[in-house]
Amino acid sequence: MPKVKINDVEIEVPAGTNMIEAAKLAGFDIPHYCYHPHLSIAGNCRMCMCEAETPRGPVLDIACNMQAREGLAIRTESDKVKAVRKSVMEFLLVNHPLDCPICDQSGECRLQDYYMDHGQYDSRGIEAKVGKHKRQDIGDLIVLDAERCVQCSRCVRFGDEVTGTGDLRLMNRGDHTEIGMFPGTRLEHDYQGNLADICPVGALTNKDFRFERRVWYLRETDSVCTGCSTSCNTKVCHQEGEVFRTLPRRNDDVNRSWMCDPGRQCNSGVGSLDRILRPTVDGVAVPDAFETLAARIKAAGAGRTGFVMGSGASLEANWALLQVVKANCPGAKVFSVAGNNAGAIAKSDGLLMDADKNPNSAGVALLAAWFGGIGGAEDLRAADLSLLVVLEDDIITRLGGNPAEAIAYFGTHNNPTAELASIVIPVAHVVEMDATYVNRQERVQRVRRATNPQGEAVPAYQALEKLGAALGRAPGTSMPTATFSAMARAVPRMNGLDYKALGASGRLLAPTVQPVAPAAPVAEAK
Amino acid sequence: MDFPRILSGNWDVPDSHLLSVAKSRGVYSQLPRALAMAPAEITQIVKDSGLRGRGGAGFPTGMKWSFVPPAEKRQGKSVYLLCNADESEPGTFKDRYCLWLDPHLLFEGMAIASRALDCHVGYIYLRGEFRYIARRMEAALAEAYAAGLLGKNILGSGHDFDLYLHVGAGAYICGEETALISSLEGEKGQPKLKPPFPAVEGAWRSPTIVNNVETLAVVPWLIQHGAAAYKAIGTEKSPGTKLFSVSGHVQRPGVYEIPMGIPMTQFINEYAGGLLPGRTLKAVIPGGSSVPVMTPAEVELCSMDYESISTHAGSYLGSGGFIVMDDTTDLVAALTNLLRFYAHESCGQCTPCREGCGWMHQILCRVRDGEASEVDLGTLRDLADNIHSKTICFFGASAAMPVQSFLTKFRGEFLDRVQRRGAGAA
Amino acid sequence: MSHPAKSAASRGPREWSPEQAAEITKILARYPTKKAAVMPLLWMAQDAWDWIDLDIMRLIGRTLELPPSHVHAVASFYTMFKKAPTNKYFFQVCHTLSCALVGSDRILAHLEERLELDENGDSKDGLFSVLRVECLASCGSGPMAQVNEHFYERLTPEIIDEVIAALRSGQQLPEPRREADQWIFPVS
Repeated sequence: MPKVKINDVEIEVPAGTNMIEAAKLAGFDIPHYCYHPHLSIAGNCRMCMCEAETPRGPVLDIACNMQAREGLAIRTESDKVKAVRKSVMEFLLVNHPLDCPICDQSGECRLQDYYMDHGQYDSRGIEAKVGKHKRQDIGDLIVLDAERCVQCSRCVRFGDEVTGTGDLRLMNRGDHTEIGMFPGTRLEHDYQGNLADICPVGALTNKDFRFERRVWYLRETDSVCTGCSTSCNTKVCHQEGEVFRTLPRRNDDVNRSWMCDPGRQCNSGVGSLDRILRPTVDGVAVPDAFETLAARIKAAGAGRTGFVMGSGASLEANWALLQVVKANCPGAKVFSVAGNNAGAIAKSDGLLMDADKNPNSAGVALLAAWFGGIGGAEDLRAADLSLLVVLEDDIITRLGGNPAEAIAYFGTHNNPTAELASIVIPVAHVVEMDATYVNRQERVQRVRRATNPQGEAVPAYQALEKLGAALGRAPGTSMPTATFSAMARAVPRMNGLDYKALGASGRLLAPTVQPVAPAAPVAEAK
Repeated sequence: MDFPRILSGNWDVPDSHLLSVAKSRGVYSQLPRALAMAPAEITQIVKDSGLRGRGGAGFPTGMKWSFVPPAEKRQGKSVYLLCNADESEPGTFKDRYCLWLDPHLLFEGMAIASRALDCHVGYIYLRGEFRYIARRMEAALAEAYAAGLLGKNILGSGHDFDLYLHVGAGAYICGEETALISSLEGEKGQPKLKPPFPAVEGAWRSPTIVNNVETLAVVPWLIQHGAAAYKAIGTEKSPGTKLFSVSGHVQRPGVYEIPMGIPMTQFINEYAGGLLPGRTLKAVIPGGSSVPVMTPAEVELCSMDYESISTHAGSYLGSGGFIVMDDTTDLVAALTNLLRFYAHESCGQCTPCREGCGWMHQILCRVRDGEASEVDLGTLRDLADNIHSKTICFFGASAAMPVQSFLTKFRGEFLDRVQRRGAGAA
Repeated sequence: MSHPAKSAASRGPREWSPEQAAEITKILARYPTKKAAVMPLLWMAQDAWDWIDLDIMRLIGRTLELPPSHVHAVASFYTMFKKAPTNKYFFQVCHTLSCALVGSDRILAHLEERLELDENGDSKDGLFSVLRVECLASCGSGPMAQVNEHFYERLTPEIIDEVIAALRSGQQLPEPRREADQWIFPVS
């Protein structure tokens, strides 16, 4: 790997690494608008100008169009570089409207941020500004204000290179250049939210979020989307227990920088009215639901009690379920009803949306294979069960009927299964707990607790810990770290995985047939 | 002075655009010779001749050609030869004469170049305003095709070269070679980032050579007379003849083919007929509107070649488009006029040029109208400095250099126009 | 007087005729990609329908398998693609430096007065449109104008008057004649 120098810091990076990325690795942020790691290089904003050292002396050039090669040395903080940044800011702002007080990008606007970092000049822009079209409704999720645009062309490239829809274009030329759609058309794809994300300024904003909350009040917690088995990496943005938006988080091996629009809604139900808030037995809130459930399991007997794993539930919850069965109800039947969530649109679009709308199908499959003897939907229909304990899976809708005499349901929201269940146990929503999920690539990824569980809900693995205790043998799954360690020791394909070491981007399971080896390090996208 | 008219020799011949007339004047006589040569031999002649690109940058043509990767390194990609006939640099109008009066000379030059470059498809990118020329050129192309001078197996040599016209539609920036390529590809005419350079990765990501009309039209003469004969004309570093356009306040504006290196005063006073009676010289823009302006004292020092203008006037020969301004000229209005042009023509792609050209024009309008202060002149100068060499292509510098040079060399005239409210009242 | 150029009704449906379709086939054969044909097709459409409207952009988009937004962006970038109709005789008068030095303002003022131009540059009689344009590479023979397709150089108010009178009387626009390196109106 070639060695490059950034401000005299020598660093080894793969050949061809973009110098903005290389500088980041060396600890230097090069400001930029048009550069995006997952779009082609446009080089138009000129904000990333640096001085490259050449035999002829230092030469100003844009870092985004420089690739790492042996001996390349750049300066990102020289006086000349700082002067260029300041002048680029001045040019960008000369025709920019003074909208900040009413602009929802405020607080995460690169014009604001970079002005503070690199601008700080006395305004000389006394000429008339060029007027453009404001407040255009261009899609289900997006409002466009062309005056605020800095013509970086990220959205144009997104439409050309990611969705292939080619819908946005920079029209006209010179200082009348204006971002826009073909008259009479609207954005028609399922990835509109990304346009608001990648727009470095307030030109493209997300209707679902705009004016909901100033961003400086929000905290961000890393998570993954539970909308389908792709499990795009996300940031959950929340304040005082309320989730305001879910944004994609960069993971070059999963979702690059993107997520789909339905996925952005995956946390919209956190505080919804149909949350299950307290344990009920036969429709009545009770303090001792776990004891009642334990008693009913014992009464039914292992032979007529069934357990259903949940492909919407975390790996830890499913592990806890299996441990409860193993320790307390040997002989009870365990089922995994694979398949699509009824009602969800089952489509794989070749981008990120997968037909399998369950975020942990691969995790359930992994544990099911390890446990052995797990029944499917047909087995469940054919089984003669007195009591069925269901973990976060709406099996009534899935099966189109009730396979057991009674149901105990562990879940987050009301649904037909919860309606029918005689015992209902509230569990934490994905944003309310620490846990892991396994996506379709068999990548084990963490979710983190952003808000406190609603009502009396606890993470499902803790609820099952309580059930185990009530049955006589607690599975030891109250802590996600310890639970994960137990799985990693027991399940061969998880050997060597460490909860903390999953990091921000997750780790792949060991391959099925080959001997266990640590997952390959995550490669940096070019 | 005795020198060959390499480019304009047929311009006075009636119907010189017709194939029969062109052939009678020796056009296409060098094509069979060139087709019999090894491609490297042709490139070597061009290299040895010292011919420099006539579009404005003055880059050595033979060297440019030699940047095309050899066939074994092209991964089967075609090589494209593009003729830049997007003549639109203010003050420049020489290619229009070549295209209208001697299209076959250009075709012959391109066919010879195609042989040197192992290229089989070429395009002439003609500015949209030249559609009336396009119609004549289409007819000329048809004649050349019918005579086997273009197309498949030219003159039985086994060499194929298809040549097409591509007509622009009103965008100065398309004269910039990568913008020309974008435009040809069906995009907005916006320059591309370099690297990669067109010779390696140009049109449709294939190796591409873009040459000016005048440059390509010289090639047949080089084949006929050899590099040494060309080098014998002009100066050591600026060999050959060149077409100079002269406009503005002279008695005989027009296009003149002259050897490089003659005194600039001789060009203005003899060829261009000198100033109108009773007038004195105020300023000259020597290389199309984009190059720094010259003072009369600098004109006295310079000769008509690349080095002299750069050494004595800090300016450029550029496209050889001379704009002569006499003492009646309002230089503030002249510069304002030019910046209106650049603001109108900026492609809008990169920040400094997109926002800066219009801004500079607005300030200049206020200076011209007596509504500006000395502070504005400082801003103007800063903006020009902040655009120059900070942009994707050379357009930014082209807009900045007139501002920088007018403000420096004719500062008094600008100061006279700004209200001297400056320090205290501003 | 009635002049057809601005009447939308005469434009007909925006579909390619068989002749145009045949021409498109020939155009496409010149380029390695369909996209490259966008400017030739815009020219073809403008020749047929006088100016480029949204229907034409959609038609070209369909023909070349391009999003209509792309055709729109290209059409909007180049000033010669007309996004609105002009009158039958379209004077594009250069006002860049070289022409300005020799009196383009005088020509423009004269046209404005004689033709009684409105704010869009259209004449009161509906026959002429006038637009100020940037350099047309005719700097040595200014003031000049491109009228429809042709360049007419060394213009004077007197020539303008003769031309206007001739065109108003129903004469066709004459081809310019080359005289002493200028292309002039061959009037009287």
